[in-house]
Amino acid sequence: MKKKLIAMLMLVVMIGALLAGCGKEKGKETGSVSQGESTKKEEKTPPKDENITIKVFSNLPDRKNGQGLVEQMIIDEYMELNKNVTIEVEALDEEAYKTKFKAYAMNGMPDVVSIWGQPSFIDEVLDAGVLAELNETDYNDYKFISGSLEGFKKDGKLYGLPRNSDVMAFYYNQKIFEDNGWKVPATYEELLLLGKSIKEAGMVPVAMDGGDGWPLAILLTDLLLKVNGDCSSIVTPAVAQGNFTSGEMKKTTELLVEAAKSGLFQTGYDSQDYGTAMNLFTNGQAAMFYMGSWETSMARNQDIPEEIRNNIRAFTMPVVEGGKGKATDIAAWNGGGYAVSAHSEVKGEAIKFLNFMYQPDKLSKYGWENGVGMSAQDQTEFLSGNETELQMQFMEFLKNATSVSGTPINDCGPSIFKTVIESEIQSVSNGTKSVDEFLTNIGLACK
Amino acid sequence: MKKADKKKTIAGKSILSFILILVAVVQIFPLIWLINFSLASSVEMFTKGLLIIPKKIQWGNYIKAYVDGHFLLYLKNSVLINVLAVVLVIFISIMAAFACKRMYWKLRGFVKIVLLLGMMIPIHATLLPNYKIYSSLDITDTLWAVLIPYVAFSLPQGMFLMTSFLDAVPEELEEAAVIDGCGIYRILFQIVTPLLKPAIATVSIMTFLNNWNEFIMASTYLSTPKWKTMPFSLLEFTGQYSSNYAVQFAVMALTAAPAILVYILLNKHITKGVAMGAIKG
Repeated sequence: MKKKLIAMLMLVVMIGALLAGCGKEKGKETGSVSQGESTKKEEKTPPKDENITIKVFSNLPDRKNGQGLVEQMIIDEYMELNKNVTIEVEALDEEAYKTKFKAYAMNGMPDVVSIWGQPSFIDEVLDAGVLAELNETDYNDYKFISGSLEGFKKDGKLYGLPRNSDVMAFYYNQKIFEDNGWKVPATYEELLLLGKSIKEAGMVPVAMDGGDGWPLAILLTDLLLKVNGDCSSIVTPAVAQGNFTSGEMKKTTELLVEAAKSGLFQTGYDSQDYGTAMNLFTNGQAAMFYMGSWETSMARNQDIPEEIRNNIRAFTMPVVEGGKGKATDIAAWNGGGYAVSAHSEVKGEAIKFLNFMYQPDKLSKYGWENGVGMSAQDQTEFLSGNETELQMQFMEFLKNATSVSGTPINDCGPSIFKTVIESEIQSVSNGTKSVDEFLTNIGLACK
Repeated sequence: MKKADKKKTIAGKSILSFILILVAVVQIFPLIWLINFSLASSVEMFTKGLLIIPKKIQWGNYIKAYVDGHFLLYLKNSVLINVLAVVLVIFISIMAAFACKRMYWKLRGFVKIVLLLGMMIPIHATLLPNYKIYSSLDITDTLWAVLIPYVAFSLPQGMFLMTSFLDAVPEELEEAAVIDGCGIYRILFQIVTPLLKPAIATVSIMTFLNNWNEFIMASTYLSTPKWKTMPFSLLEFTGQYSSNYAVQFAVMALTAAPAILVYILLNKHITKGVAMGAIKG
């Protein structure tokens, strides 16, 4: 029995060793072949009629609505025009997207990927060298808004293209305002007073997605712009030194805390998510909603009652008394975009597809027509006269802007800074942490 | 005196029934809420009050969930992956538990501890290393890419319950079987396994429920729709900022249905299994 056991054990070990040997060899082979192949394939351009598959990794899982629909429309159009090209889309929501992006960065990326032109995301990605360099002169005729490509550059080289121009504003229900004799506030102090009147009337003044952290961080950016007249002169050195204790930052944070304390937001705002906040507004329970220009599509959304959707208007953050910022200095930035993988086996075709997407009559036009926000390219030529008043208002905000905030504060530092500020800002706004504690903690996260 | 006693019993029973009904309502409420919201429109979702009375019942949510959510394909994948995971976990955990509990060899205690240590490893810590390994083995985006981690993460729990439960099986049975000429596999599968029924049911249901709703590993290791599982249906309706909540509720109702069915089928055994497994160590 013992002998049998020993024999069996030896057999298992032998088979195991053999299999392990095979696996290793196979791994080695695949590794070397794929490496060799990738360098070879990078150099050669596939013949014209060869079947090509482009893999697109997107952060827009809903392909039937909004930005995802626009992206899918362009993909379908490209495949229709280039019969030999198949485009496979893998789409995940932001959190899962970023996790898988890291996995792909280790072991080969899909050919075209969604990226964010903000330091918290792009710095690490560019350092890893996974994105292909693009030729900036190719895009001279693409009507990109001046400065919109900056976030996607490193050492003067371009690695991605921006998709949207995002503008932050207070959406409000014009009818409710008129019925109650409320006026669009001209100063921040007036906004707080208006909030009190709205609350007394039994409504929520501003629906706030505080559960996510980032809208509060954008509010902080918006206020900093109004206090200081520009954001980068405060935020850039603060991130570099890990020190946010400047007078301007302190004043700005106090203004934000004051808003929360005065009851400007709904009860439990710090744990309620995007959908909850938005629905408070679209149901008529809240008079205002603080959100970005991507929500201009609310004015066309058939699910929202007509009397509400037809009365949605917007105003940007009013001036702060004693602040250096003007009413026309707005919180705006270029966030998400696309890039091509540096090691793509079909890099040439992937760049061709990327360029096709960014032809001014594609992403920009379709986005405008579907009301999914504002593009990073000039959209004025697509005005058809069928635009909603809300769309026109946002266009005016951008047209009349004397300066823009640039990247929101939460995306200005390393990824750990983003995590910390988005959680700490909830604590400081609801009073569980003091302003000084908040500023110290976000400073430490930069170090 | 008797009347008073009777009154007391009736009062006691009424209070007990009231408490039980209350607990049952609290337990069942999420399901009612899920179905209620799945029949409303997205905008009605945040009206005041716990439940919604939809202006028009939105059966369309279910149609969208079924068609646009690729329900059938994802259901097929989920069922296949979960059934395989349950079978493998049961099979391996019974054998491992028997080997570590009833067979006498030098490292049995150590091996048992190593296997149980698996319970302490967080899934997120293994995501990227596993992806790297699967990539080099060329098994990403295959059935194995999800089946292996599902079995691996369910095994410690299964092994823990099986070992505890095995204590309740008298050793004399095995001795009698040996005397009657049974080999080790026959003892294990024909004598011991039938006695482990409640533990098998418990491990099955736990493995099934944990893996049925798992998303982060599946989303990292799978790329194409070929092997995607039910939670991916939900993703089809997730927008960049806000989502189509009403259809997502319909997807969740459809996703929950098979899990509830499995629970109802195995419910009888699970209470017994957990209770018996809990007191032995």
